[in-house]
Amino acid sequence: MTGVTVKDVLGSLGLGILVILVAVSIFAPQIAPYDPHDTYKPMEHPSSEHLLGTNDVGNDILSEVIYGTRVSLFIAFTVSITAIVIGTALGLIAGYSGGVLGFLIMRIVDIFLTIPRLVLIIVIAAFMPRSIWTIIVVFIIFGWVMTARIVRSEVLTLRSQYYVESARMLGGSDLYILWRHILPNVIPLVVVQFIMEASHVIIAEAGLSFLGLGDPVARSWGTTFHYAFECPNIITSDVWMWWMLPPGLCIVATVLGFTFVGYALEERLNPKLKTVVGMGV
Amino acid sequence: MHYISKLTYYLVIILIILSINFFLPRAMPGDPLAYVLGENPDMPTRMTEEEREMRLAEYGLDKPLLEQYLNYMVGLSRGDLGCSIYYNTPVMDEILVRLKWTLLLTGTSTVIYMLLGIFLGAESAWARGKKKDTGSLITILTVSSFPTFFLGTLLAIFFAANLDLFPLGGARIIGASYANPFEKALDILHHLVLPAATLIIAHIGGTYLLMRNSMLSVLGADYILSARAKGLSERYIMNRHAIKNALLPVVTMAALTVQFMIIGTIFVEKVFAYPGVGNLLYDSVLRRDYPLLQGIFLFIAISVVIANFIADMTYLWLDPRVRDE
Repeated sequence: MTGVTVKDVLGSLGLGILVILVAVSIFAPQIAPYDPHDTYKPMEHPSSEHLLGTNDVGNDILSEVIYGTRVSLFIAFTVSITAIVIGTALGLIAGYSGGVLGFLIMRIVDIFLTIPRLVLIIVIAAFMPRSIWTIIVVFIIFGWVMTARIVRSEVLTLRSQYYVESARMLGGSDLYILWRHILPNVIPLVVVQFIMEASHVIIAEAGLSFLGLGDPVARSWGTTFHYAFECPNIITSDVWMWWMLPPGLCIVATVLGFTFVGYALEERLNPKLKTVVGMGV
Repeated sequence: MHYISKLTYYLVIILIILSINFFLPRAMPGDPLAYVLGENPDMPTRMTEEEREMRLAEYGLDKPLLEQYLNYMVGLSRGDLGCSIYYNTPVMDEILVRLKWTLLLTGTSTVIYMLLGIFLGAESAWARGKKKDTGSLITILTVSSFPTFFLGTLLAIFFAANLDLFPLGGARIIGASYANPFEKALDILHHLVLPAATLIIAHIGGTYLLMRNSMLSVLGADYILSARAKGLSERYIMNRHAIKNALLPVVTMAALTVQFMIIGTIFVEKVFAYPGVGNLLYDSVLRRDYPLLQGIFLFIAISVVIANFIADMTYLWLDPRVRDE
């Protein structure tokens, strides 16, 4: 086991989980036995025809969960990529240019960080039509904040480094310095931040959908769980085993995948952390 | 000086929250009147034109926006959060009735998860790299990946539905008459175990990781080395030198995590049908009871801001370096 640390093992495990889930969401139509909107006899127990039975309106649960992978991952990736790009851009501006614009951005960041995010998200989503786009928009509105803050403080440090100063003295334009010298050094932080945001969105979206704010047609794992939960006597019978457990475990697996990959990458991409965290595992 | 600028900052935040709450139903697609009446804004209204105008006047929605805003602020200053559509009672009353249960649940869970997180984090850091540390780290990372509602449902299935050790839900037996206060307390405690356990498990990860990291950096400090050189026992160094110094960031974070605790409570109260504010929020979403929903949002948001304010003040008071900057 020389050279292989716990971090490496966890990292590969996490990556493996994520690759499988992405594959399932891409090939959902090929893998799923039925269309998730087709109806059969409702509340069927698992059988060779319906491996995970059917729900209260007669949809095949296995197909719903497989297509749910698509919905959940689509939301997670769309939100985190957009939010990270916005956050990085604003963080670069705030850190590099300073001035009124930088001050303004940072005040907005402070305000966003003080207002309880998920409670406001619940209220806004309750006013908007139930659709995955509602969820994507409300999560992006709040998702960029942490990234902007982290990127800004990193840029502040980088800006006064000798190599940046010399690039400027040699006549490099602001845009050139940002692109060539600052951005590459910020990327590792941004990657870790992306993973954390994605795993956060998976859990938060599941929570929002559990509250009944998910898209009732394009059902994510959280929405499937919501309808199961709203069904009477579900946890006192055996039905939870095929209706609640599969979507629940899918959420856990995805979050674990992101957590493990993030944990393994954190140190490799951000050597500064080594002095503190590196003493451990 | 610090205190005054902090206070101003938090007052501005509260003003922003109040304004968001005011403009939300007015800025959203759909008729603000539909929100006040609890109708589905996607459905065509069955009201006649006169009826509509009468209703608008009744809720003051026909007045200019600025006047509406001022009326809203004046109402709030009197503690008036409007009327719930479903219950047809003042929103404030509905919240206050349920508040004690939420405070009991969050209070108990916060104390336990903080203490447990600090203890486990310190132990883990002390045994860094060993099996015990790796084991608890992986366990806690895994458990933290469970969404709160899923964790709660699993606990309800195993410990209530299958093993029948605890009640499935509620805060106490409905309509029960108790022989003495002790019996009543026992019943409430019995109902509290599973919801509190869910919140504790869901929140312990943050404190644990923070304490572990903080301990790891403290353990590298010179005064730990000199304590060791003096020949002090390992236990003594850990309890008297390391933990004390590692606690500061954990304590600072405690008040900042109030908002996560409140969000967790929404899910836990729903899963265990616990009669608190979180459950009320869930119901108000399902019933499209917008005045109630907005009232709860305001109540929670302002509580969280106040908690953050207290945290900031405590931090200033605890750490002279920040204060004198």
